[in-house]
Amino acid sequence: MTTLRTHLYDEHVKLGGKIVPFAGWDMPVQYTSVKDEVLAVRQNVGVFDVSHMGEFFVEGDDAEAFVDHLVTNDILNAPNGKAIYSPLCRDNGTVIDDLIVYKLKPGKVLICVNASNIDKDFNWMKSKHQGYSCSLTNCSNIFSLLALQGPKAFETLRPLLSELPDMEYYSIFETSFQGHPVIVARTGYTGEDGFEIFGHHGTIKSLWQKFMELKVTPCGLAARDVLRLEVCYPLYGHELNDEVNPYDAGLGWTVKLPKQSFIGKETLVSKTAKYKLVKLILDKGIPREGYPVLNSKNETIGVVTSGTMSVILNKGVALARIEFDKTPSDDVFLVDIRQKPFSAQLTKKPFVTGGHK
Amino acid sequence: MTTKIPTNLKYTKEHEWALVEENTVTVGITDFAQSALGDIVFLEVPEVGTNLKAGSTFGVVESIKSVSDLYSPVTGEVVGRNSDLEGSPEKINEDAYGSWLIKVKVKDTSELNNLLTAEQYQEFCNTSH
Repeated sequence: MTTLRTHLYDEHVKLGGKIVPFAGWDMPVQYTSVKDEVLAVRQNVGVFDVSHMGEFFVEGDDAEAFVDHLVTNDILNAPNGKAIYSPLCRDNGTVIDDLIVYKLKPGKVLICVNASNIDKDFNWMKSKHQGYSCSLTNCSNIFSLLALQGPKAFETLRPLLSELPDMEYYSIFETSFQGHPVIVARTGYTGEDGFEIFGHHGTIKSLWQKFMELKVTPCGLAARDVLRLEVCYPLYGHELNDEVNPYDAGLGWTVKLPKQSFIGKETLVSKTAKYKLVKLILDKGIPREGYPVLNSKNETIGVVTSGTMSVILNKGVALARIEFDKTPSDDVFLVDIRQKPFSAQLTKKPFVTGGHK
Repeated sequence: MTTKIPTNLKYTKEHEWALVEENTVTVGITDFAQSALGDIVFLEVPEVGTNLKAGSTFGVVESIKSVSDLYSPVTGEVVGRNSDLEGSPEKINEDAYGSWLIKVKVKDTSELNNLLTAEQYQEFCNTSH
């Protein structure tokens, strides 16, 4: 399989970005140092090229009703201009993908999906489309996407656009950059304040170049992974996959059972979690995906789904999937790192508190 | 990618360098390796007295994003470990050739002929990446 390149590929190479294959794309994993890129986002402002992600548009009278039927979260009752995070589930409750639904205006919805799941999601949605009076279009190939993240994101972006109100977190606004339309959402995957900016390739390339002129730190996928893990956001393929349901990944809050009907409701209404997703901090050792999690009797009770060295805490942190009925009552967790047990503290709160509004 | 490859050292295909002084070999990871790894945050090397076998793993080096095994260039006994790196493994990023990991006393110095010269290692880096 040949890997795909975003329209900013040459920019990344010019900046010295290290390119790695990711979800079928050649993407920059880091430019200078993961640490510096993480700190830029937490303390200042950084920008990610996330053009590999997918964009679908749903337009027509039934746009909201159709999307509401597809996903577990409540789309119909959310106000226009709002962004809503949701799993997309099968009838048996397993997760096809996690995505963000943007209510642009009555009868027009944008859905942003994970790069690795574009075809899977689109085919699934298409198969459920019959009977709804709306179009469903995969626009992934005509849109580029940047994520501008960090406490200085708003003051960086505002002067560049024709208009940008101090919008709410998780809302969306249509505006323009140098006369070209862009869709700006106050969303991101870092826990910090920030914006995701959708536009056509040429527009987004000019915007990226503008950010570089302004000395915004270009950030790669490695920093993005540390940032999302520090604030405990799930990543499809790690915390979420085709086998688990939203409850197994701590996403019960996104399953709105009072909704009249949605795909997966009948199963999810009676289902309980088989797994529990826990947050673990280690004083010593760095947990990695796939490492076993043990109880005080050294029995395996689960597995690390994502692990890294937190740049902010300077400690190993992990999300781990624990079998629900084996969750230890004494809260003693050990992570098996290369056949050696390292003690891990359970924490209820995210490892790092992001500064988003 | 440009990388520093001192000519006075020997190299492995796993990107370790070896400084040979009589029958003692000082081992570290190359500039190419530290650059590929990124920010190094953890290092695990064997105790003095451990016996190593050429080509087998002797420890790990971890960056924020990945874990890599370390491979011994030679067979022998660990006679020293760099205590300067304990607590500050990021020094490897700053100076890969100035940051040695372990010293190994070798019995059979003929084994050193299996290692790559600087020229061969440069060639290896050029073709494998």
